[in-house]
Amino acid sequence: MSNQPSVPNFDAQNYARPNQNWICGHACEGHACRQGPDANGRCRATAECKPMLETKPGEIKGRWRCTRSGGECEAGPLPDGSCCRPIAKCSPVPTLRVWRGRMTLAVVAASCAVLLVLVGRPPWRNQFISPGEISHAHSGELFAAVFATNHFKENCQACHVAGNSGPGGIVTAAMHAKPGILDFQGLANARTAEPTAIDASCLKCHAGRNFHQANAPPISCSFCHAEHQGKIMAAPTDANCVFCHGNSATLVAARVNGGVVPVIHHFAGDHPQFRFLSEKWRDPDTLKFNHALHLTSATIPKLPGGEKLDCTFCHQPDATGALMKPVTFENNCRVCHSLQFDPATPQLMLPHGSVESVTAFLRSLPKQYLNLAIKENTAVANAFVAQKLANLRTLFGSGEELEQRVFFSTATYGPETQIGTLSGSTRAMFPGCAHCHEVKATASGLPEIRKPVMPERWLLQAKFTHAKHTAIGCAQCHDAIHSEATADILLPPKETCAACHSPRGGVADSCAECHTYHKPRIAAR
Amino acid sequence: MNRFRRQFFIGLFALVAATVAALWAHRRFHHALPDYAFLTGWALFAAMFVLTFFNARKKLPFLPLGKTETWLQIHIYLGFFTVVLFLIHLNFRLPHGGFEITLAWLFALVSISGVVGLIFSRTLPRRLATRGGEAIFENIPALRHALKTEAENLALGPEAKSPFIGEFYTQRLAPYFAGPKNQWRHFTESRRALHALLAELDDLRRFANDSDREKIEKLAALMRQKDGLDYHRSLQLALKLWLFIHIPLTYGLIVFTLLHIVLVFGFSGGAR
Repeated sequence: MSNQPSVPNFDAQNYARPNQNWICGHACEGHACRQGPDANGRCRATAECKPMLETKPGEIKGRWRCTRSGGECEAGPLPDGSCCRPIAKCSPVPTLRVWRGRMTLAVVAASCAVLLVLVGRPPWRNQFISPGEISHAHSGELFAAVFATNHFKENCQACHVAGNSGPGGIVTAAMHAKPGILDFQGLANARTAEPTAIDASCLKCHAGRNFHQANAPPISCSFCHAEHQGKIMAAPTDANCVFCHGNSATLVAARVNGGVVPVIHHFAGDHPQFRFLSEKWRDPDTLKFNHALHLTSATIPKLPGGEKLDCTFCHQPDATGALMKPVTFENNCRVCHSLQFDPATPQLMLPHGSVESVTAFLRSLPKQYLNLAIKENTAVANAFVAQKLANLRTLFGSGEELEQRVFFSTATYGPETQIGTLSGSTRAMFPGCAHCHEVKATASGLPEIRKPVMPERWLLQAKFTHAKHTAIGCAQCHDAIHSEATADILLPPKETCAACHSPRGGVADSCAECHTYHKPRIAAR
Repeated sequence: MNRFRRQFFIGLFALVAATVAALWAHRRFHHALPDYAFLTGWALFAAMFVLTFFNARKKLPFLPLGKTETWLQIHIYLGFFTVVLFLIHLNFRLPHGGFEITLAWLFALVSISGVVGLIFSRTLPRRLATRGGEAIFENIPALRHALKTEAENLALGPEAKSPFIGEFYTQRLAPYFAGPKNQWRHFTESRRALHALLAELDDLRRFANDSDREKIEKLAALMRQKDGLDYHRSLQLALKLWLFIHIPLTYGLIVFTLLHIVLVFGFSGGAR
């Protein structure tokens, strides 16, 4: 680097200490005075020397002598003893250290001022110091209404005693906190989930923790319910749940009526089998339906579009995508299962849904045929009706016998394969209500048909949404092709869920994935 | 292994060990201790206090508190560890709310400015030494003034007899010698401006006699010295300016932290 342009080396004789706060105002011109400014930035320049009074023996007044370094000046001191060569005063310049100190003071002052303004004014304070958005439950209209009733304001004060205090009140609250500010031992030894003073605020509204089970242990509300985490209160973590559910002593103490709640740590591990399996639940529905037959039998015909009958024809997701729409006769069964009872009159169908309607329909058959004749402009309506009724009598006998056949028969008019067929010119005949329903005779004469009961959900303690599981086929969870009885509950066992919802499966497996907090609600079935 | 290398490896080892220990403790105690955030907060505040005390330590050289060099090493590695503590205190989440976000930004700015300062203090002195020369920052104006006076005497003084040199000085060199120039270019190690000006000066040779050429040579030498002086000013200023962010914001951060402590205890579960 020999060709590097160099810098003129500084004069070591005139070394200026870099930690000086002030520099002589003449320094930039290259002739700073020797004394330099004082600590407060004032110029100390006076004169080039301080004359000294010399009094020789025998003299009374003495003589002032120049003490200038570098030699006495020509003029010498003035008669009053002052130097004849005063130095021009300068305006000392602050160094960067001084500017840095000033900037530090300014930042500290600005910080204090901003904090005083923001913390001193309640409307700004609440917004500024809040560590996050309050959940809707504690900030919405309902909450405001509750607090209006209780003469509280909807602000920090609702939960925090210091919330409505000024800066002094906040400091006082901090000083009286337990554990205290400097109580490190207390902070380190605090017990997990131990109720704290702020729980008293929760109990103002949630008296006795009334949305919890009565036998739940008295733990701190904030242990599970973390506020200031957003509009929707964050779900409890697994650690929150396992604090009770993973502790056998807690569970034993919380037993009700001798019941046993198993110790649970992980879904894939010690979470019990689903109750419908462990308790061998059976579907109480009286509708006779064979999933295996409908999904696998070769006798099941194709749908009008030529498609094979599959799960999705009957089980369609509801608007939310979480559950399935209820299966209905009109939407899902009628397309194959005809209600045509008169083989020669496909235009006439039995009503569906009510015993009374069917009975009324059958007992007014002459009128029904007459209406049909008028509707179809039959030339001789009365003859048409008479012929139809005669045909029915030939087939079924009397009207009473026809009713018996309609309600109680499980037989069909032809081979079994014709029940649901759509092929040919006519649709399949109606075999009788009892073919699908449980029909009982009663003393009143009208039969009783048990309404089908199809629960929307089986496992009410857990939440589930089909919408998040559309990537997998129905049969991977629901073993419908092997189910021949209505009583079969076609939910998957825990192991099927845990295949994905586990650390090994890689899908979320926290308690809150499936469970919300569970105050006993309605029976599972 | 020289002393600096040994210091580096000891510091790095201590930093890695402390980080691993802190992360292990976080994993172990995060759920086990209900007041864990308070404890990590105090640890963070203690670390910040020690870091801040480094500045005070420099102002108290008479106290037997160890060598400033040792304090600087502690300041650097503890500074990095404080960032780890800060993330642990936040539980590796982003802060929410105006106050906490401001506090986090202050911490981030102080940390980033500290890292920038560390990079500057490790690289810029080497560049200054490579360039050569010595100049105390506070003396630079005086040195520049001396160069300016010398150049003025050469170009415009009583012995100056070349009107084109005088004109060139008045138009092009007087502003150059008047104050610091090309500060950012010096920081980025660019000499383009100097070379352009030297090229312009060199063009004057066509009209110059031997005496004038000698003056042009001297002026070029003075310009190079001025350029070196500006280079020193630029880099030394960078070495000082990062502290204008680091130190004031540190004290601002301390103010906010003190209020944060009061607020969390005033509004915590233990407060009434």
